[in-house]
Amino acid sequence: MSTGKRIALIVGGIYLFLIVLSIGIFGWSRLDNNEFKPQNEFKLDDWIGSGPFAFNKAVLYLIIASVLTVGTMLWISRRMKARPNRVQTAVEWIYTAMRDNITRGNMDDAMARKWFPFIATLFLFIWFSNLIGYIPLPTNTHEKVDVLGVMIPSFALYAATANLSIPLALALVVFVAYNVEGIRAKGVGGYLKSLIPDGIDNPGMKAFVFVLEFLSNFMRLISLSVRLFANILAGHLIILFMTGGLAVLLGIEALGVIIIPAGIAIFLFEVGLVATLQAFIFATLTAIYLGGAVAEHH
Amino acid sequence: MLSFLTAIFAQADAGADAGKAIALGVGGGLGAVGAGVGIGIIFGKVIESVTRQPEMRDEITGIQWLGFALTEACFFYGLVAGLIAFFL
Repeated sequence: MSTGKRIALIVGGIYLFLIVLSIGIFGWSRLDNNEFKPQNEFKLDDWIGSGPFAFNKAVLYLIIASVLTVGTMLWISRRMKARPNRVQTAVEWIYTAMRDNITRGNMDDAMARKWFPFIATLFLFIWFSNLIGYIPLPTNTHEKVDVLGVMIPSFALYAATANLSIPLALALVVFVAYNVEGIRAKGVGGYLKSLIPDGIDNPGMKAFVFVLEFLSNFMRLISLSVRLFANILAGHLIILFMTGGLAVLLGIEALGVIIIPAGIAIFLFEVGLVATLQAFIFATLTAIYLGGAVAEHH
Repeated sequence: MLSFLTAIFAQADAGADAGKAIALGVGGGLGAVGAGVGIGIIFGKVIESVTRQPEMRDEITGIQWLGFALTEACFFYGLVAGLIAFFL
């Protein structure tokens, strides 16, 4: 028997043993818990100030993400070497991917030179704010834990992008940017005319398609923001439910033991794929919209 | 009469809860059906095209992830609508 197989057998055995043990100790009886509100995990408490300028969890995550975006890139660019170490190689690879795949693949060279910094910043900012969302930080001020007489907030997962306002703000910036860029390239009339695809002769059909395309411009705002927000929020919710939330809600202890491997798998999936993919999608769609707004043919 | 009304209101309350649960189930479940079919088609087509033209692999992978994320997002639209109906 190979080592890998043996390890898998041992882990599987421990898993089964823990399930049987937890059922043996706690039994399998449902006891609904009405105090635990899962939606409170995403509630924003004002820490300092109130109203629109309040400092809360989301603002903290935003600041961390911005500092990381600016800090890492400045730090890497200051200590560039002819013989790159591993970190520099990774950053250079990301830089090349952002420049060649995301930006240049979707617009002409003059536009790419102009808009690459914006798209790259967008990508890095969303990427960092997605990734720090999977690191537990002591931010949950609803539930405090007593550690040697000091009440500290319990550790919680939260991401700035799991709040609709932040993706919406980013999407609004993108929306204004590509519309202004399109109007600057073609003029107001030309830009509106370019919304109609070539090859439609019937004037009634033209008017219909124009209305449709005009509205779809606003739908882009919704799809761009809700896609990012919903992906991250759903990921966090599934992680919450799989790694204990469901067991607490239903009051079945053994259920928590049974589904925790699924929780770990979802967590790895979110960290490894979804966080990067969503940042990539947001940046790519921004590039496509910007390129499409100035392109001669629709 | 009053007790009868109370009973009806209690029924209505229970009905609202059931409606919320149905909303979450339909939003999550039916959304997953459509997105599942879509993602299956995307990856199937990618395998097909890569076996036909292996030299195009890098380009195809880029488009593949774009399509995957766009399709997957449709599931989350339904799920979020269900969650909003359930919790708010």
